[in-house]
Amino acid sequence: MKSLPMRLAGLAATGFTWLLVLAVTFPLLWMLGTAFKRPTELFAKPPTFFPHAPTLQNFVDVLEQTKFTIYATNSLIVATVTTLFVLVVATLGAHAMVSFKLMGRHVVARALLLCYMLPTTAVLIPIYLMIAGLGLANSLSGLIVAYTSLTLPFALWLMRAFFAGIPPEIEAAALIDGASRLRAFVDVVLPQALPGIVTTGVFSFLICWNEYLYSLVMINDDRTRTLPTGIMGTLVNGYAIEWGMVMAAATMMSVPLLLVFLFLQRYVVQGFGAGAVKG
Amino acid sequence: MTEIALKSVQKKFGADVYAVENLDLIIAKGEFLTLLGPSGCGKTTTLRMIAGLETLTSGEIHFNDKRIDQLAPGQRNVAMVFQNYALYPHLNVRGNLEYPLKKRGVPRDQRQTMVAATAKMLQIEELLDRRPRQLSGGQQQRVALGRAMIRDPAVFLFDEPLSNLDAQLRATMRAELVRLHLRLGKTMVYVTHDQLEAMTMSTRIAVMYKGRLQQIDTPAAIYSRPANRFVAGFVGTPTMNFVEGVFSDGASGLEFRSTLLPTIPVPGLSGAKAGMAADVGFRSEHVVLGQGAAQAEVSVIEALGHETLVLLTAGADEIAVRTRPDIALRVGEKVRFDAAIDQLHFFAKTDGNRIGG
Repeated sequence: MKSLPMRLAGLAATGFTWLLVLAVTFPLLWMLGTAFKRPTELFAKPPTFFPHAPTLQNFVDVLEQTKFTIYATNSLIVATVTTLFVLVVATLGAHAMVSFKLMGRHVVARALLLCYMLPTTAVLIPIYLMIAGLGLANSLSGLIVAYTSLTLPFALWLMRAFFAGIPPEIEAAALIDGASRLRAFVDVVLPQALPGIVTTGVFSFLICWNEYLYSLVMINDDRTRTLPTGIMGTLVNGYAIEWGMVMAAATMMSVPLLLVFLFLQRYVVQGFGAGAVKG
Repeated sequence: MTEIALKSVQKKFGADVYAVENLDLIIAKGEFLTLLGPSGCGKTTTLRMIAGLETLTSGEIHFNDKRIDQLAPGQRNVAMVFQNYALYPHLNVRGNLEYPLKKRGVPRDQRQTMVAATAKMLQIEELLDRRPRQLSGGQQQRVALGRAMIRDPAVFLFDEPLSNLDAQLRATMRAELVRLHLRLGKTMVYVTHDQLEAMTMSTRIAVMYKGRLQQIDTPAAIYSRPANRFVAGFVGTPTMNFVEGVFSDGASGLEFRSTLLPTIPVPGLSGAKAGMAADVGFRSEHVVLGQGAAQAEVSVIEALGHETLVLLTAGADEIAVRTRPDIALRVGEKVRFDAAIDQLHFFAKTDGNRIGG
């Protein structure tokens, strides 16, 4: 039996944790609540937390009055292609940076971190000009190139840490056991790196899914807009903000992501490489 | 059976760091050869070059009459056991044992028979469905051995495979490896910094230091006739005692004079001449206490049960002595000692090489 002060301290810690959880989830819950409210209830005084008469009208309006499905398709294409592209390059790149004693690999690693630390706004215009020079301005492929440049340094940096945790001997063992270089990588290195790949993929997808600034600057055709700029452009303008529809759109944007996150959580937290080497 | 020949093998890291320098080495068919040396001596690099995990900067490696240093590791028909075992963590024991067979296209039913036979031989049958992280260190070691044995390689390579085990298990595994070598009769190359492993298991030992081969011979010869001062100091516990001195001409021919020991007559010691500085070396078991002209103070007494180690100090010199356990000594006591005259080794001060036969 623990002493009373100990139990009180435990209770206080638990209470504080829940307070934090509440503070973090409140905007999310508010978004959900508002999405289901009728226009009259939006500005009710005192404000309500749970909708009194829940309605799906906001969702119907978003789907009927905006190009939500087009924006969503664009976002999905851009985020998925970028993520796949980034994962392939970052997986091979990070493995090379960790396993091969290349000259200047530490310099490259630091340069990557520096790239990642540069504010997006500082590189926005140069990148835009380069992409325009390639003739890719105002297109999804242009956005994919831009997002790759945005995500790759971060992805490489993250993956490098994961690959550094994989003992090099297991790849050597596979080579000696008769595997080719690529086969050894696929057979024994990739399975160890899987949690890292999933984590990097989730983060890269999130960055692309939520990205606003590049999309705003590079896209000016409504049919190629992504969700953040499309929804903001349609529902938030100088005259009015359609809060109900904004929240409904935001819900439709974030709920699939939350589900994916929940599903992949076990990979993200899974211990990697455990048992490969006796410590 | 496979003979391994290393011909003028060199490995450079960077512009001028030699990991292995001009190594000529012939490992006989069916031999258990140990590469022994301190860390950074080039022994592991040598092993990895035989395995194909490192490229050669220059030189050649041959298996029997076939040059193999250009081949990929998987084409050399070698098996390797790593210090950390390097089991595949996502595969169970069966999957680990099967992996080299799969890569060689062995059909499924044959694989199963071979896995069963290997598991039986190493007594790991009940572990086949477990993952590596569910095994103890000793069990992981057996699985690693099994994965090496299962495809009947021409050459076995071991990279300090016992250093992660506790002392008792290490002794057991040493005996088991010796039995394995006798049973399989394959050429085995074993890397260690542990001279006990080298002495107990090897047919021959190759001592390496700073990328160079210092001596290659049987364990007994390495111990009793070390080729240079490094080998003399590295092999044997406690370390061989060394006393500095110089050769000079005496009444009855050449003698060795030092401040600590009485003058040692060495007439006819080939390669020695008057005026030459040298170290005389002698092992702790060849020192007799309580007699002789040399004197020193007892500074440490270690009773090991079956024997007692005594450390003497005289000025800057330290002399280790192995003696009977019933000896009565006190720390701080002055004691006389003598080194057996027929068990002395002389090493030139200039290059450290052995003087005389």
